[in-house]
Amino acid sequence: MTHIPRIGIGGPVGSGKSMLIERLVPMLAEKGYSVSIISNDVISKEDANRMRTNLATNRGLLPENLVIGLATGGCPHTAIREDPSMNLSVIEEMESKHPDLDLIIIESGGDNITTTFSPILADYFIYIIDVAGGDKYPRKGGLGIESCDLLVINKIDLAMMVGADLEIMKKDAEKIRNEKPFEFINCKTDEGIMKVTEHILHDVLFDGSPKSTITQKV
Amino acid sequence: MDIDEIEQELGVMQLSDSFFPTGIYATSNGLEFLFAEKKIHGMVDLIKLIRTNIIQQLGPSDCVALANVFDSINKYDFDKVIEVDNIVFATKSIKEIRDASTRSGVQLIKCVIEFVRDDKVLNQYKDNIIKNKVHGVFPVAFAICCNALKIKKEKSMMMMLYGFTVGIVGAALRLGLIQHFEGQKIIHNVKPIISQTIKEYSNKSLVEIWQFAPQMDIVQMSHEKMDSKMFIT
Repeated sequence: MTHIPRIGIGGPVGSGKSMLIERLVPMLAEKGYSVSIISNDVISKEDANRMRTNLATNRGLLPENLVIGLATGGCPHTAIREDPSMNLSVIEEMESKHPDLDLIIIESGGDNITTTFSPILADYFIYIIDVAGGDKYPRKGGLGIESCDLLVINKIDLAMMVGADLEIMKKDAEKIRNEKPFEFINCKTDEGIMKVTEHILHDVLFDGSPKSTITQKV
Repeated sequence: MDIDEIEQELGVMQLSDSFFPTGIYATSNGLEFLFAEKKIHGMVDLIKLIRTNIIQQLGPSDCVALANVFDSINKYDFDKVIEVDNIVFATKSIKEIRDASTRSGVQLIKCVIEFVRDDKVLNQYKDNIIKNKVHGVFPVAFAICCNALKIKKEKSMMMMLYGFTVGIVGAALRLGLIQHFEGQKIIHNVKPIISQTIKEYSNKSLVEIWQFAPQMDIVQMSHEKMDSKMFIT
């Protein structure tokens, strides 16, 4: 069976996981990559429905049936780490039915800085936080912040308003990430999103050409 | 206890452990709908629900299927295993329940085959899943995995029913329907139902398979249509 590259996007509730996906997918689609989304949600389908409406129904960037909401029995961390069975089952179906997909994005919430994805589930792990949690966030570390392939710090436009010093966050992220990448972004304005896209194109898709037979053109 | 028995018991513990990855922790078997509609209140109601599920659904259907898989394996009759798989799939008339059973069953097989590589039936069943010749429903997959780990039929039935009970109790705890000591009381209360069910259904033939719990069916169908939910079923 075809192995379709998979990105796991995790982070605290409200940090902007779904919004990041809503910004990334159009950029990837514009370059011809076909993407599917699995949204793990404590209260299922809210995020999946929004992404389906915004990306599939309204913009036709991917077929509606390629945005899937998955209930996690109240345990989003378990669903992506200790027991990823249900996610793997859905992915196997996708790999079987849609082998021409270029990328599967798996989103999972959870209010916990120790969130990680099982290596069998995600090939690449993006952990997203936002400045509203305070500029201490990168410094505090935790498995998600320390071990992810790419750390994304969202809502930088709010930094002034919540008293978060981006320079401190930058220095702490550099220190705790030990040369692994991180990006500051603002999903509302697309600031920094292209850089995240470039990481995906280079690190996950190895700058390869899109298979692109499913995605409807933008 | 000799070494073989100890290994079998360790197999029982491994497959029964909530740490074992089958995704069942994400299912409530309709409990979430009852809770949301305020149609279930506390420990007594929950015991009744588990009792109904076991007596009207799991016992006469899943347990009979599991037992028949064991008997078929003993007779080297893989065609019968396929037949059981088809019948169980057909009896699960609620889509969410059917999908969850199949997903869990397939993942169970994939996991066990990672550490039990030389079991003929296990490999045959996995190959048939890949070829879409069987569905991979949970009771059949569970029987095959238990057999591969040398766990006996009755003990496998016990594990399946216990796993179901713990799954429902776990869902009730997460929903806030009961508290943790009550959860253990419920499991203790259900033990006689489990033992009676094993006694009743361990030697039934496949033609005697049945299930009848229309109210549960409606509850489980209603769960499918809930706008907001924590659980897959």
